[in-house]
Amino acid sequence: MKKRTMDASLAEHSPKLIRSIERRLFLRQGLSLGALALLSGCELTDDEGVQKVLLAMSRWNDGAQAWLFNPNKLAPEYPESAITKPFPFNAYYGEDEVRLVDGASYKLELSGLIRDQKPWTLPELYALPQSSQITRHICVEGWSAIGKWSGVRFSDFLARVGADTTAKYVGFECADDYTTSIDMATALHPQTLLTLRFADQILPPKYGFPMKLRMPTKLGFKSPKHITAMYVTNEYPGGYWEDQGYNWFSGS
Amino acid sequence: MKSLEATAVAAILATVSFAFAADTTPGKPMKMDEPMHGEMKKKNMKKGDVKKAAEKRARQMKPMMEKEAAGAPKR
Repeated sequence: MKKRTMDASLAEHSPKLIRSIERRLFLRQGLSLGALALLSGCELTDDEGVQKVLLAMSRWNDGAQAWLFNPNKLAPEYPESAITKPFPFNAYYGEDEVRLVDGASYKLELSGLIRDQKPWTLPELYALPQSSQITRHICVEGWSAIGKWSGVRFSDFLARVGADTTAKYVGFECADDYTTSIDMATALHPQTLLTLRFADQILPPKYGFPMKLRMPTKLGFKSPKHITAMYVTNEYPGGYWEDQGYNWFSGS
Repeated sequence: MKSLEATAVAAILATVSFAFAADTTPGKPMKMDEPMHGEMKKKNMKKGDVKKAAEKRARQMKPMMEKEAAGAPKR
């Protein structure tokens, strides 16, 4: 079912468009062939020495991408008619294994370089000013899909809790054990959204209830679902796929 | 008569496909020893690897972040 959905999604977009997106995200900003190999997650060799060199190249590529990142450039937005239906489900587990988070007892934990570390309940998050976007989710696997996402602008949330926005990283922990982290410039990007709704409905479990981070400037695996905790730090937090060799920045 | 047969065939097909359709209702316990789903995985990766990696990373980050917080100016 999932495969057919992804194929259908791919079929909606011409190969030329997919190639164009890939070029935009990677080739324009990928300044080394070694880093490009890592972007695809290819296991070129298990040799520890080679892995270390490739990892160093990937980190260098992160720096280059961060340097090229324009915090004021917006990702394209689309009309409602362009929304992909059904929107694909994708995770490292099956749709039947999606974690069910209890919204009534849910609390978002904050730590690190954040002044007000009071946990946030869902009603408190729903009460914050909300905005919406219809943007394209681009997966490292080679497919993309357009969806409507609503929630709290992440830069507003960081300001509200007194996050140190001069710090380098924001890290995330999720109810499905997934971890990832992003650069502060992307965290403060106007389209980075603490997403609470999908298609004007409370975020369904399969898309990350109660909350996911949506970033149309980054690849899909950088967007954590079922977020339970976040922290601000200058220590490199990595992430699950990033620690397996996928490019950490993974954005435009 | 033909429409009756067509209806019967359609009903049988619907029943069979319903019976064999994958149950995608969320909430089943994750089988940690099973191979991961998706195209991002490498061979031999299991679902439980994600939890182990998260725990390992949390152990590494905790002392570094405590030290960082202790040295951070009061905001």
